[in-house]
Amino acid sequence: MNPLRRLAMTEWSGLAAAIVIGGLVLSLLAPNFLTEFNIYVMLRSFCVSLLVGFAQMVTLGVGQMNLSVGALGGLVAICFGGMMEVLGVPLPVAVIAAVILGAAGGLINGVLTERTGINGFIITLATASAFTGINFGITRSIPFYKMPPALVAFGEERISAFPYLLVAPLIVAALLGLFFARTVPGRRLLAVGGNPNAADLSGISRGRSIILAHTLSGTLAGIAAILAVAQLGSAQPTIGADWLLLSFAAPIIGGAALTGGYISVLGTMFAVVLIALIENGMVLAKVDPYWVQFLLGALILAAVWLNRWRAVRTGTA
Amino acid sequence: MTTEEATTEAPAPRSRLALGALLAQFGLVVIIVAFWVFFSSQASGFLSPFNLFNIGRDLAIDIIIGFSQMVVLATGGMSLAVGAIGVCAVMMAGYLMQTLGLPVWLSVIGALALGAALGWLNGFAIVRTGINAFIITLASANLFSGAMLILTKAVPFNALPPEIGAFGRMKIGFVSPLLVTALVLGVVLFILFRYTTLGRQLLAAGANPRAAAMSGVPVGRIIISAHILSGLLAAIAGLLLVTRLGAAMPSVGGNDWLLPSFLGPVIGGTLLSGGSVSVVGTVLGALLVTTIRSGLLVLQIGSFWLDFFLGVILLLAVLVDRYRGLYAERIRGAR
Repeated sequence: MNPLRRLAMTEWSGLAAAIVIGGLVLSLLAPNFLTEFNIYVMLRSFCVSLLVGFAQMVTLGVGQMNLSVGALGGLVAICFGGMMEVLGVPLPVAVIAAVILGAAGGLINGVLTERTGINGFIITLATASAFTGINFGITRSIPFYKMPPALVAFGEERISAFPYLLVAPLIVAALLGLFFARTVPGRRLLAVGGNPNAADLSGISRGRSIILAHTLSGTLAGIAAILAVAQLGSAQPTIGADWLLLSFAAPIIGGAALTGGYISVLGTMFAVVLIALIENGMVLAKVDPYWVQFLLGALILAAVWLNRWRAVRTGTA
Repeated sequence: MTTEEATTEAPAPRSRLALGALLAQFGLVVIIVAFWVFFSSQASGFLSPFNLFNIGRDLAIDIIIGFSQMVVLATGGMSLAVGAIGVCAVMMAGYLMQTLGLPVWLSVIGALALGAALGWLNGFAIVRTGINAFIITLASANLFSGAMLILTKAVPFNALPPEIGAFGRMKIGFVSPLLVTALVLGVVLFILFRYTTLGRQLLAAGANPRAAAMSGVPVGRIIISAHILSGLLAAIAGLLLVTRLGAAMPSVGGNDWLLPSFLGPVIGGTLLSGGSVSVVGTVLGALLVTTIRSGLLVLQIGSFWLDFFLGVILLLAVLVDRYRGLYAERIRGAR
C-alpha cells in the first residue's frame, strides 16, 4: 500500500508543481493574469472541462473508452434547450430530463458493448455518429437561443472570482471521489478494470460494471452539456464537437491507467486546471489558438510516456 | 475480447472462413444493389452520368481512406491520425506547388513522403513506448493538425497549377481517373496481402504477435511498416481530394475522416482485433457509404441525417458480424 500511496503522491505533486510554476510565470509575464475577472473566466471554463474529463474517466476506470462523450453532450444540450424553448418545459424538469437523457445514452452504449462483446471503441464510434446525426437532424444546425433567465444568470453570476457554475463540478467531484473510494459498486468497477478475469472469479459481474460505467459516463456528459448551455446562454448544436481530445487528455494527464483499474479524481482535476491555465496563457500571450491543440497533443504523449516509465520503474524496483 | 476473437478464428479451416467472408460480401452487394434500386426509383437524377461521375470521385477518396485504416487494422492496431496525416499532405502539396513553385510531380512526391514520414512517427512511437495505438494516434493527430495550422495559419492554397483541377474534372466515359487510381491501389493491396511476404507478415503480426515473433517475424518493424503504408495511403487520399477541389484546404480531413476510415473496412469484414483484411470488402463498404451519402443528397434529405444513418449502419454491420461469428462457433461446437 505504501509505495502505491507514494506513487499517487508523486503524480499529483508533479502536476501541482507544473500548475504553480505556470501560474507564477503567467502572473509575472502577464499583469492581467491575476485579476479577479481573469480568474473568474478560467474557473468558468474549468467547470465544463472537468465534467467532460470525468465522463471519460469513469469509462477508462472499467477499462473501456467512450468516443461518444461529445456527441451525447451535444444531443443532450440541444434537447435541453429545445425542451425549454419549444415545449416550454420548466427549468428544473428540463434539467432532470436532460440528465436522464444522458444516462439513457450511456446505458445504450453500455448495453450494446456488454451484450455483444464488441470493442467499446467501435460501438461508441457508431453511437457517436448516430447521436450527432440526431442532433443535426433535429436542429438543422440552428441553435436554441431563448434560455430561461434563471439558467443564464446561473451561468454568469459570481461571488468575486467564483462563478456559481463551479458548485456543480465540485459536488460531482466529491461524489465521484466517494463513489470510487468508499462504495461497493465503485470498487467493483475498478476491480473489473484492473483485472477482469480476477473480478469474474471473485464473483463480480463484469457486465454490470461495464454498463454502470457507461451509464455514469453518459450522465456526466449530460451534466456537462447542461453547464455548457448555462455558460453559453444558448443551446448550440456544436456543443461537444471539440470534447474528444479534452475528454482523454484530462484523465490521462491526471494519471489514469489506459488499461483500466486506476483513476484519480484529484489528478483529473489538477489536469483540467493545467489545461485551463495553458489555454488562458495562450489567450493572454495572444498566440494562435492552434497552439492549444498542439500542446494538448504533446502533453498527452508526455503524460502517457511518464506513466509508462513510472510503471516500468516500479515494476522492476 | 481479443482472446475470444482469437479462439473464434484460430481453429476455423481457412476455406470456411473464406466462404464466410464471401457470403458477407455477397450480403453487402445485395444491400448496395437494393439501395441503388431504391434511390434510382425515387430520384431519376441518381443514375445520370453526372451523378455517377460524382459518386465515382467521392468513392475513390472513401476507398483510399478505408485502405489507410485497413492496413493498420490488419496488424491489430488503429490510427486516429488518418485524417490529420491526410490534411498535412494536402497542405504540403499546396505549399510546394504554390509557394515554392515546384513542378507537380515533385510536389506529389514531397506530399507522399510527408505522409509516409508522419506514419513512420506513429509506428515508431507505438512500437518504442509499447503504449496503446489509440492514445498515441489521438495525441499525434492533434500534434500534426496543430502544427499544420500553426505553420499555414489555416490559409488555403487556391492558386494551384490548372492541371490539378483538370485532372479532378477529367472523365473517361463517366468514370473519373480518381476511381481508377483507387481501384489500382486496391489491386496492389490485394496482391500485397495475398502473395507477398510483407503482407503475410502484417497479417501474422496482427493475428498473434507472440506467435509471429517466435516464428521470426520482426513484429515491431512490421507494425511500423503498416503505419508508414497507412500514412502513404492517407496522403494519396489527400492528394486526390486536392484534385477534386482544385485547392489545398486546411479544413479537409481531420476528424471528418475518422468515421469513414473505420466504416469501409469494418463493414467489409476486416476484424478490429487484427489478422484479417478484406480489400474487396473495404471497397464495397466504401461504396455503401458513398451510395447512402449521394442518395440522401439526391433525395434532398440533406446531410443533416447522414451521420445518423452512417452510425446506425456501422452498428448493424458490427452486430451482424458478431452474430455471424457466434453462429459459426455454435455450428462448430455442435459437431
